[in-house]
Order: sequence, then C-alpha cells, then structure tokens
Amino acid sequence: MTSGPKLVSILRQGSYLIASIHTALDDTQMDRFREDLIEQIGRHRSRGVVIDVAALDVLDSFGTRTLRTIGEVARLRGALTVVVGIQPDVALAMVALGMSTGAIATALDLEEGLEYLNGRLAGGAVSRPAGRVPPP
Amino acid sequence: MTGCGAEVSGTQRAYRPPVEAAETADPPVAADVHAALAAIVPIVRRIVAARVPDRSTADDLVQETLVRVLAAADRIEPGMLEPYAIVTARNVVASLWREQDRHRRNEHRMVDLLAPESPDADLLAREEQSAVAQALARLSDRERATLLAHEVSGQDTRSLAAELGSTAGAVAAQLNRARARLRVEYLLASERVEPPTDRCRPVLLALSGGDRRRQREVDAARHLLECDLCARLSQPLLQRAATREDRIRIAIGSDGDIVAARQAARELASRLGFGRTDLTLIATAVSEVARNIVRFAGSGEVVVELLDHPRRGVQVVARDTGPGISDVEQALTDGYSTYSGLGLGLPGARRLMDEFAVASEVGQGTTATMTKWCGER
Repeated sequence: MTSGPKLVSILRQGSYLIASIHTALDDTQMDRFREDLIEQIGRHRSRGVVIDVAALDVLDSFGTRTLRTIGEVARLRGALTVVVGIQPDVALAMVALGMSTGAIATALDLEEGLEYLNGRLAGGAVSRPAGRVPPP
Repeated sequence: MTGCGAEVSGTQRAYRPPVEAAETADPPVAADVHAALAAIVPIVRRIVAARVPDRSTADDLVQETLVRVLAAADRIEPGMLEPYAIVTARNVVASLWREQDRHRRNEHRMVDLLAPESPDADLLAREEQSAVAQALARLSDRERATLLAHEVSGQDTRSLAAELGSTAGAVAAQLNRARARLRVEYLLASERVEPPTDRCRPVLLALSGGDRRRQREVDAARHLLECDLCARLSQPLLQRAATREDRIRIAIGSDGDIVAARQAARELASRLGFGRTDLTLIATAVSEVARNIVRFAGSGEVVVELLDHPRRGVQVVARDTGPGISDVEQALTDGYSTYSGLGLGLPGARRLMDEFAVASEVGQGTTATMTKWCGER
C-alpha cells in the first residue's frame, strides 16, 4: 500500500509474535495492522503476542480500542497478548481520557513482556500441551 | 553614425558588375580610368584579404572600395588613384569592424522581453476595467472620493484629514476599509455573481480586511465551510494576508487527516513551552475531535491557534457541516455514542483540555472549541 519505511513489523520468534508499531498510524492503517496480526497468529500457531507501542505518541480511544480488540480476538484464538512500551505521557493521557487496555496485560518493555508471557504460559494458564511451551 | 551604417550596409549587397554598371550610370568615364582601376584591383584585394578572413565578405568589401574609387575617379589626380584606393579599402574595412562591434553591443536589444500579447488580452483588460469600475460604483460616495484622492491623485492622508475634518489615522483606517470593500466588490463583479446569502458580504468583508475580531463575530470560518461561493472567493482574499505563524488549519476529510491534525497541533503547541505531557493531552484531544468529524460529518476542519489573551494557551476549534448533535448535553455524557466506539470522543476530549464548549445545530453542523492554558495544573 505504502512505499517508504515500514509502518509496522510483525516478527516471529518461536511460538511468539513480536509486533512493533514504528510510527503514528491512522485508523485505516491501525485496522490493517489488527487484521494482519490476527491472521498471523493463526498462521504461525502463536501462543503469545507482544505488541510494542513505544513509538506511539498518542493512544486515543480508537487506538486503545484496537489494542483491546486484538487482545480479545487473540485470546479467543488461544494466544496471550501483552502490550509493552506505553510512554508515560501517553499513559497519563489515557487515564485522563478514561481509557484502559481492559483485560490485556501490559508490561514496561519488550523484555518484561516476554518474561510475562513465559511465566504465564509455563504456569499453564493457557491450557496447551506442556511440550509446546517454549523454553524460558 | 547613421551615415556610417548606411554606407557599410551597402557592402552587404553583392555588387556584381562594378565597371559596367558605372559605365551605364556614368558614360563619360574615360577608358583609361577603367584600365587604372583594373590595375589596382589586386592590391585592394590584398589589403582587404589581410584584414577580413571571410572570403565572401572580403569580396563584397573589394567591390565596395572599387565603387567608391570609381565614383571619385574624376576628382582624383591620375597618379593618386592607387593611394586613394588603398585608403578607401582601409576605411571600408574599418567601418565594417565598427558595424560588427555596434551589432555586438546592441545584440541584446533584439530580444523581445515582452511576451507576445495573447488574442484575448484586450478583452480581459476590458473586463478587468469594467469590474473595477463596477466595484468602485458600489462604494459610498465618500469612500470613493477619498480612495481616488489618495490612490489616483496621490493626496496624502494628512491633507485628506484636514479636508474631512478628521485625523490622519482615521482617514487611513477609512481607506483600509474602502480597499477591503473594493476587493470584495471587485471579486463579485469580476465573477459576475451576487452573494447567495445576507451573510456572505459581511464575511467576505471581514476576511478582506483581515479583521480577526470581526471574523469571529460573523463566524466567518463556519460560513466558509457552508458557502461554496465564499469559500472560492475567499482564496485570493486570504492569500494576500500574511501567513500567520500562530495559527494552522487542517482540512479533515479522512483518517489520515486525524493524524496530521494532532501532529500539527502538537507541533504548534510545543512552541508555547507546553511540557510533553500536556502536548500528549492536546494531541489526544485533537485526535478525538478530528475523529468525530470524520465519523459523523465526513469532512470539516480543525484550526489550532496560539492565544495570548487572557493567558498563553492553545485553542483548538473543530468545525464541521455535518448532521449536528441533537442533544449536546447527552453527547458530552460518558458512554453516549452513536457509533461503535467507546463513547469517549467528546467527553474524553473535554477531560483532556482546560476549557471545552460544543455548539451544534441539527442539520447545520457542530463546532467544538477547546482550550488548554499554558502552565495550568
């Protein structure tokens, strides 16, 4: 669709997907990101998803809602989602706006996010055969 | 000078049969002159050829020399024909050089810098004239008289003020108003249109005069969204106003414009010294109101303006000509939403800013005005 640098990247690491948003996305791009990510969760049979939003300077009602939607859909598809890298100012604006990420887990950064996924999935919170859990 | 030019320009004509022609023109020339002339041809040729490299030009000059010598032959003493021919040859060459030099110097004059007149230029000029005349006719007598005295006759404001029993400043202000009116009337006359509504003229006048207070009073920005004619006519009026550093307008028509609007707002507000947190709040609020425009009205505008009074701050006006909101109070209540959002658009934006007001009329559109003051909280 667009030329130039990629707006988002979705990388596969073991049974996890790491999705990074590199720049501000408009609503259409946000929707496309949601569709791509959900499609890849199915294709790669992913168990966990990390969404890195550190590059976003604004998370408004639409952005937050999209993240929640992704989290819900991923959960229904058997994957755990964690949003990482929400900037302090963005977090404050979300509170002032009255938005929350709802049931989606959040973590400070990518490392914490992966740790969270490892801990949750190893602990058997998601019912999967133990053999498919990646080594921590 | 001209004499020289005329003389030498003769060299350009190929003078083919010098002797015969001279004979027919001047029968009494003696045969011995012809013989003497034939005798000096080689030396004339040598002299000219030594100075002029181009063969055909040299030939022309030789012919020219011979013609002159022949014409003067009866005045020359018999023995002096050769020296006379030599001097004449040198003179002819020298005047060629002068001519070339002059040509080189004046070459640039040959370029016609004026664009060729297009066939309709006359007609356009006449239309322009009649539009100006019509516009002038629509001014009041006093306005017209003052304007013409100042602009055409060159009378200064002080002497005008003395005549009118006013002050120079007041006359200048009056002139400004007259010019503003003239611009509007000129545009209307040249487009051959009458404004469709009563509001058009006051709005155009306020824009033409660059009077921001008056523009707010007549709600010029909203009218421009609603009235196609004024939107078109306002272009030249707004262009002449200096682009303002402290104000930015973003047309909202699609998703992408939401991002553009919030980034522009953040950029403008950052000049005022807002902290990162406030900038994020402002950007988020702009995002919400801009999205409301896209979702409910389809198109509109967001105007971000830096304020000095009563305090420093940034004001965001989001305007659309959409369906309007029937119950503004309800729309500002959390959880109310007519689309599948979280219902946080307007109430959310209200919480992010220090001041927030919504004016809406069903069928007319909605205007949300919100302000964040610098150094609050």
